[in-house]
Amino acid sequence: MFDSVEDVEKKLHDQDYICGKNIATVVYLATKLQKPILIEGPAGVGKTELGRAVSRALGLPLIRLQCYEGLDESKALYEWEYSKQLLYTQMLRDKIEQVIGDAATLKDAAARIGEQDDVFFSERFIVPRPLLRGILSEERVALLIDEVDKSDPEFEAFLLEVLSDYTVSIPEIGTMEAKHIPLVFLTSNDSREMTDALKRRCLHLYIDFPGEEQELAIVNLKVDGIQQRLAEDIVKLIQSIRKLDLKKAPSISETLDWARALMVLNADTLEAPLVEETLNIILKYEGDIHKAQMELSKLLQEKGAESPGPEAEAGEKPAATGTPPRKSVLH
Amino acid sequence: MQKKIVDFTNLLRKSGVRVSVAESLDAFAALDELSLDDRELFKDALRATMVKRSDDIPTYDRLFDLYWSGFHDALREQLGQATGGLPDHVDLDQLLEALRQMLENMDVDLSDLAKAMLSMDPNQLEQMIRDAADETGIERIQNLLQIGFFSRRMIEQMGLEGAGGDLRELIDQLREAGMGEEELEQLGRLMQAVQDAVRRSVRQFVEQELDKQNHDYLERFRRESLQEKSFYNLTEEDIRRMRELVARLAQKLKNVITIRRKRQRKGKFDLKGTMRRNMAHGGIPFELIFKQRKKERPKLIILCDVSSSVANVSRFMLQFVHSLQEAFTKIRSFVFVAELGEVTQVMRDNDIYQGIDQSLDGGGVVNVYTRSNFGFAFHVFWRDFLSAVDSRTTVVIIGDARNNYNDPRAWCLREIHRKAKNVVWINPEAPGAWGFGDSVMDRYLPYCDVAEECRNLKQLSRMVDRLLL
Repeated sequence: MFDSVEDVEKKLHDQDYICGKNIATVVYLATKLQKPILIEGPAGVGKTELGRAVSRALGLPLIRLQCYEGLDESKALYEWEYSKQLLYTQMLRDKIEQVIGDAATLKDAAARIGEQDDVFFSERFIVPRPLLRGILSEERVALLIDEVDKSDPEFEAFLLEVLSDYTVSIPEIGTMEAKHIPLVFLTSNDSREMTDALKRRCLHLYIDFPGEEQELAIVNLKVDGIQQRLAEDIVKLIQSIRKLDLKKAPSISETLDWARALMVLNADTLEAPLVEETLNIILKYEGDIHKAQMELSKLLQEKGAESPGPEAEAGEKPAATGTPPRKSVLH
Repeated sequence: MQKKIVDFTNLLRKSGVRVSVAESLDAFAALDELSLDDRELFKDALRATMVKRSDDIPTYDRLFDLYWSGFHDALREQLGQATGGLPDHVDLDQLLEALRQMLENMDVDLSDLAKAMLSMDPNQLEQMIRDAADETGIERIQNLLQIGFFSRRMIEQMGLEGAGGDLRELIDQLREAGMGEEELEQLGRLMQAVQDAVRRSVRQFVEQELDKQNHDYLERFRRESLQEKSFYNLTEEDIRRMRELVARLAQKLKNVITIRRKRQRKGKFDLKGTMRRNMAHGGIPFELIFKQRKKERPKLIILCDVSSSVANVSRFMLQFVHSLQEAFTKIRSFVFVAELGEVTQVMRDNDIYQGIDQSLDGGGVVNVYTRSNFGFAFHVFWRDFLSAVDSRTTVVIIGDARNNYNDPRAWCLREIHRKAKNVVWINPEAPGAWGFGDSVMDRYLPYCDVAEECRNLKQLSRMVDRLLL
């Protein structure tokens, strides 16, 4: 367990996850209050990754449930194993005949079988799905319910019981209680608003795009051997691109992809032609790319005005390393 | 502290953030786990437990700053200004120290407020101001005109006048006790300044309170009234805000649609499917299979009058429908004034707002600077695009049917009506005006399955919901 908010920050950092204090606070509270965290925010800011990082930091096994439209309780909670039940009845036929062998009437026989009901509706014949598995686990687990907004509104109702009481009710057996209360993360892209009932049971965490400093730290941490100058340029440019009115703003993972790509291309600094050619790594819509290109010259000029030195140097670079390999990688 | 948090919760609720009782209990539980010294930590903890919608976060941030704003700091600053008014050569600490010694040796009866002012203790003064505010029922404050009233009431409640008298008496007593004249004068001036500072702080407190109580109230009022505001009277600013509103309503409708689809999904029992599925169980039907009903997605053809009189209705209708794109298999949009042209491609190639703006400008296919001629436009549609209409198509016409005394050619609409599943007419004019002047709505009416007045957003969203989904 975590000792303090600072401890959360530190341990997550050890897991290569850089987070601000607000994230650490919520994680700390969640472990203390034993409440689920509902994580919202734009795509690619590290919502799922937070769940993973916390589970690693605490050394808890991670059980992940990916939500999608049409996900129902038999996929998320539990399912009766019909064929196994059937197999057992077949194999136990002799035994069953013994039980009802001397029954005088049909009614009597049915009553006797009825007495044995619980044999066939026992835990033996239940296939636990992620949620039930998280609850029944012998050790404490982290439960990651990913993209819960993709699921149907009805599915939320199943979640309610699990999230508030950490129990699962199976009509035929009864209520199963958690042996250890799992640490639950729910992530949502806000494509649908969750019901108030669900939100009420969770702590809410909104993760936004990181600030310049934080993003730089992330790039430095995740991209091995990147040059400081290049990293700074990339982050600065990404930050200003996000301010444009785009259909989809570049996420952190796209920043990282871009940084790695530029590393592969042996770039030392950002220069206009290179950026233009690689824009498709960070922007995924034609319209966005177009918009960014228009802004780009302005942005790069500003950068050039700040540090006139590298500009001149950059001018010679493309000729030296040659442009063709770049193209071949990207197109 | 508890009371302050409860108050803050109420404030959030009043500003439209939904905070349940369970959530405010969570907030208390969370604060137990944290040290309260760190303001950011405190803020994050309250937010995580009480604010669950990202839309509400800006509201929360503003309110938090307002509420936990450090009235304390403001008060301290005021007091600082009061002491700052003293001449440079006077040492404040010395003065106060001398005063304290004098007081110890004298038997004077001072009110609590006077004592607090003498010691210039911001904590005590703040508490007194807050108590006075509670007594006067400050939470009832509603508008700017009441600031003076509440400030006066609070000052009376605190007994500031009486305290001032006490202090003057004290100075007289001090003079008798043999305090230096110059020091006394400084002291008198200082006390006057402190009194003024308290007075100003009270007023500031009241103003802040008003801000808190009214926060978001105006905003919400504006948004609600926007829903009912007639499209004819929209300002540029309104149009911009309206877009957000339409987008939000569209999102809401989308959610409703998916639920409805789910509900009606199960169809009849599927015998063949059940047998096939249960072969694995030796033919014993453990799992039942139902036939899936065919999803019927409507096809939509929209004919928008883009003459300026109905431009806003067209604008929001187009935005609505295109936001709901996935609910329809096919949307084709046409614009007309007199000529008629298709703008489906224009809408598809641009982002939604640009597309709409371009469509309203004729989309490069029609001339918008003519006079409306519905008859001609319908004729063109009948001639060129009738094949696009089939028995699953709903044709939506948006326009005021003011035909400038041209030939209405109602037979074109009759032909369209015959082929289409539905013809819906959305008219921004009230039914009372249909058929008067150059309106030919009465001629078209027999060929419309539904014709409705639609002059504000509320009507529009109801219409979209009921007719198309």
